[in-house]
Amino acid sequence: MRVTHDIEITTSSVILDGQPIVVQQTGEKMLVELYRRFVGDYPKFFKMDTLSRLGFIAAELLLKQPAAGNQQPVDAVILANRSASIKNDRDYLATITEGNYYPSPALFVYTLPNIVTGEIAIRHGIQGETSFYILDTPQQLNAIIAATPFQSALAGWCECSAQDKFYAKLQTIWNN
Amino acid sequence: MVYCIGHSIISPLGEGSQANVEAVQAGRSGLRLYHNRFADVEPFCASLFDTPQEFVPLCICSVTCALNDSQIAALPETIFILSTTKGDNLDLLTPAQAIVQHFGNPNPPVVVSNACTSGVCAQITAKRLLEAGLYKHAIVIGCDIQTRFIVSGFQAFKALSPEPCRPFSPDRQGLNLGEAAATIIYTAEPQPGGWKLVAGSIHNDANHLSAPSRTGEGAYRCLTDVMAGMQPADIDLLGVHGTATPYNDAMERTAIERAGLQDVPVSALKPFFGHTMGAAGVVETIIGMEILKHGTFVKMLSGFGGVNAAIRLTCE
Amino acid sequence: MEQLIEQLKAQIIEALNFEDMTPADINTDAPLFGEGLGLDSIDALELIMLMDREYGIKLADPKAGKAIFQSVRTMAEYIQANRTK
Repeated sequence: MRVTHDIEITTSSVILDGQPIVVQQTGEKMLVELYRRFVGDYPKFFKMDTLSRLGFIAAELLLKQPAAGNQQPVDAVILANRSASIKNDRDYLATITEGNYYPSPALFVYTLPNIVTGEIAIRHGIQGETSFYILDTPQQLNAIIAATPFQSALAGWCECSAQDKFYAKLQTIWNN
Repeated sequence: MVYCIGHSIISPLGEGSQANVEAVQAGRSGLRLYHNRFADVEPFCASLFDTPQEFVPLCICSVTCALNDSQIAALPETIFILSTTKGDNLDLLTPAQAIVQHFGNPNPPVVVSNACTSGVCAQITAKRLLEAGLYKHAIVIGCDIQTRFIVSGFQAFKALSPEPCRPFSPDRQGLNLGEAAATIIYTAEPQPGGWKLVAGSIHNDANHLSAPSRTGEGAYRCLTDVMAGMQPADIDLLGVHGTATPYNDAMERTAIERAGLQDVPVSALKPFFGHTMGAAGVVETIIGMEILKHGTFVKMLSGFGGVNAAIRLTCE
Repeated sequence: MEQLIEQLKAQIIEALNFEDMTPADINTDAPLFGEGLGLDSIDALELIMLMDREYGIKLADPKAGKAIFQSVRTMAEYIQANRTK
């Protein structure tokens, strides 16, 4: 198993393959800034919840990197975090308060953590495995990834626990 | 290959796999109409426990029932894998940790949250971790409890049928929700007789978050993966998702025909249990094994996020 | 009517998160789905919820939405005729 590229996104920094990407904004606004600078042609981004925006941006930046000799595209997306889709769950809850009950379908669809893997699969045409795990530590994810069959995967930690509180550390990994 | 050494279902239809199988064979359904279960929510048809259940005790009850005097839950070589979509009031990790703690198991649990396919995906994860030699036994729990949160969302999606669902009927009107806890225990140690989990596969449609693929691409790929080396005639029963929504049933039909499985008997269990979400893959695998007794059983599911999953089990 | 159309455009932009769009960018008679704004099935459900929340119109059958959501104008006409608030 070989890690070809990695990215770490905090609420105020982005480090791609060890090199920082200078950003002006922080938090959710930083994700929008990254979208405008590096993507720009996928307005569906604005419909996504923060967890999906985070995973989407990380995937965009990673999958733009040269594949280092391997030509086949990534065929699996395996992500994990501790708090599932809690931030968007709470946003959805706000639409069903008693006395002001108008449940939002557009928010409800994001009340599952694996939706971010679906967004990445749709964007990049990935028809292999997509899996989402809720775990205590990233070490547990490493054991699961090692036991998962794939040729090339986008894998890692993708967490959003509240408004402007998120963290992602994703890698592209190649087997053989 | 991993070996099934125990299972249980706790649902509104009964406590224990046997009680649930008997209910299905007798044609009893857990579905009924609820008018005032949750504030603001329109009346809905579902299979719910008469007394609202708490998530962690329900899971513990299901595991205890599946263990049936065996003590493997406490062994350091055992991993707990929980399949759920909304867990205990939107928290997925804490209840999993509470279950493990209850049984005195030292290993941090794995929670699989892959939408409606979670219960099949959790069994695939169990197979992988056991085959990798990381653990000797895996306790796979599937559980979801219906809440105002979930019912309101499915109503906003216009996905619920006002009456008991009719999978694959031309006049199907949508799905019913349900609640259940179910457990399957797998071991890496070869067992004489009994059911074996032989193959598993997960594929994304890469098409749409909530609308099933017109071509059934992900489900088709899952079916061909788990059937590798087999002929359609070797499959004795195909457990479909069968949500009774117009598009998902149509997608499954397309995938089944593309995989050449149109002559295989099909079972769709949502008219008995409703859609039990994280529990569905576990409940429906157990019923399939019990009704078939022996042979080859393929179980498939699909869900939000465009994900599909299938497993193949055999019993000689 | 024109006032309702302008208000509706702003509400659609807000509800469907069209970040880079202003009411002036939406053609009143252009199709909402397919070629025009390119809305999808989740957007349609969100528009049904918008009509309930803002205008007190309950649409039980999502299939009925097809005729109503042809354009902003058809939607405004339907709201004008059926609004309860």
